[in-house]
Amino acid sequence: MKSYKELPSDAGSNIIGQVTAQANRVQKRLTSVKHTVAIMSGKGGVGKSSLTANLATALTLKGNAVGVVDADINGPTLAKMMGVRNATLTYTPAGVKPAITTLGTKLISMDLLLAEDDAPVLWNAHTQKDAFTWRSTMEVSALREFIADTEWGTLDYLLLDLPPGTDRLPNVVELIPNLGGVIVVTIPSEVSQLIVKKSVTMTRDILNVPIIGIVENMASYVCQHCGEEEHLFVTEEPLDDVFQKISLGAVPFDPRLARASDNGIAYLDEHPDAPASKALIQIAEKVQAFFEGEDLHALPVGAVS
Amino acid sequence: MKFLCTDCDTAMKFKDVTRPEQGSVTALFECPDCFTEIAMFLNPSETQMLKSLDLQLGGTNAAAQPMQMVRSQLETAKSDAMPNEVSPETSASETAEGGKCPFTSVISDAFQEAPEPAEPTGPVWTPEALERLDRIPSFVRPMAKMGIESFAKENGHDEITGTVMDAARGNFPAQF
Ligand SMILES: Nc1ncnc2c1ncn2[C@@H]1O[C@H](COP(=O)(O)OP(=O)(O)OP(=O)(O)O)[C@@H](O)[C@H]1O
Ligand SMILES: [Mg+2]
Ligand SMILES: [Zn+2]
Repeated sequence: MKSYKELPSDAGSNIIGQVTAQANRVQKRLTSVKHTVAIMSGKGGVGKSSLTANLATALTLKGNAVGVVDADINGPTLAKMMGVRNATLTYTPAGVKPAITTLGTKLISMDLLLAEDDAPVLWNAHTQKDAFTWRSTMEVSALREFIADTEWGTLDYLLLDLPPGTDRLPNVVELIPNLGGVIVVTIPSEVSQLIVKKSVTMTRDILNVPIIGIVENMASYVCQHCGEEEHLFVTEEPLDDVFQKISLGAVPFDPRLARASDNGIAYLDEHPDAPASKALIQIAEKVQAFFEGEDLHALPVGAVS
Repeated sequence: MKFLCTDCDTAMKFKDVTRPEQGSVTALFECPDCFTEIAMFLNPSETQMLKSLDLQLGGTNAAAQPMQMVRSQLETAKSDAMPNEVSPETSASETAEGGKCPFTSVISDAFQEAPEPAEPTGPVWTPEALERLDRIPSFVRPMAKMGIESFAKENGHDEITGTVMDAARGNFPAQF
């Protein structure tokens, strides 16, 4: 009797061929994208999506062609934050045309497919139990389609806003083997720093993806009346030395930033002189410098603030 | 997955795949030498796995359509989530079809659950017959159930009893 190896292919399904074709589609689309950046955090709610939206705006204002993938398939927020919640994605056989902000940033997000802000993402299945079992596989497929099937055109930067935690990063690396780098967002509390350590280890040491740097969000509060800067966290510990060396900057808490996000207004464009805007612009400059080959992490610690 | 016809020592070839019935897909394979057919049943979880990976049993000749998985599988999408780009020349015919993409409808149909019949028109199962049905291995049960029901309909039985099952049995390889 013939053995497995002696039989040709898999009875005609060519599963390997199908998987390869899927990967090739991603690669083909990314040939016109210069740099891919994943925005990640160990914990939820630390400001990844806000940073992604603002970084996209900053890079766009600097003259870059920027695309954003809301890789938080199950908890999308970017369409609202970037003010394109009501945009319609149009479909052509060549790809799906993304939403475009007033400044020209392109976005693809699950948000844009859902009828209501509170509509859950439910997948077709015989029973929802079957759907839940395969949910994360569905999410990775959806992410693959978002990257591969959006008509990005030529981009300088493609930013990916990941869901909280480090779980999705390995999938992203599988989809984008030459991922340009990862930005880790954190808030200054001890527990958060422990989680940052894990994220850094996971990214750099296990997945071998470069860390562009760490962004410390909501580290301080700048009084809108007197301009005085206050620290927000009473138990605040300074970033560990190791992290300080790879810090891209600290973004102060600004209620106007939260409000701008809620209203889908570009905070940077609206309040260009606010301390948080300045910090965000500096971060964007450091991201550019990273890709222009400057050794960011060799900068003296004091230069990063 | 590969299949061998042990009589001919020949690799079986994929022949056809059904749409999911009660979440379960059936694929048919055939021996190119003796034309023996076998059916492979995927349970709902296996069917869902293929769906979530956007893989087609039997391969696919059609080039993948943009976002075909999301477009066909998202239950909670707004109705006009991704309208076709309407070019002036084609707009008339496209609106006639309600703007539905001809490609994706084919693709989504292939993996969409077969619609439930509007009202239960099938024969009624007696408790005794149902109990016997339950003893059939779960992976062949949906197929067997459908087979028995269509046998009953074809032969004019309104009720499926043990006797009807015995009569239908000859038509099936599975023991029940
Ligand atoms: N620097 C800031 N100043 C004021 N508000 C902020 C700042 N950064 C983030 N926020 C607010 O904090 C909330 C959480 O931010 P965001 O949604 O960006 O976090 P996230 O890390 O993406 O969350 P999730 O893990 O749920 O995806 C939002 O309401 C946002 O507007
Ligand atoms: Mg978020
Ligand atoms: Zn044979």
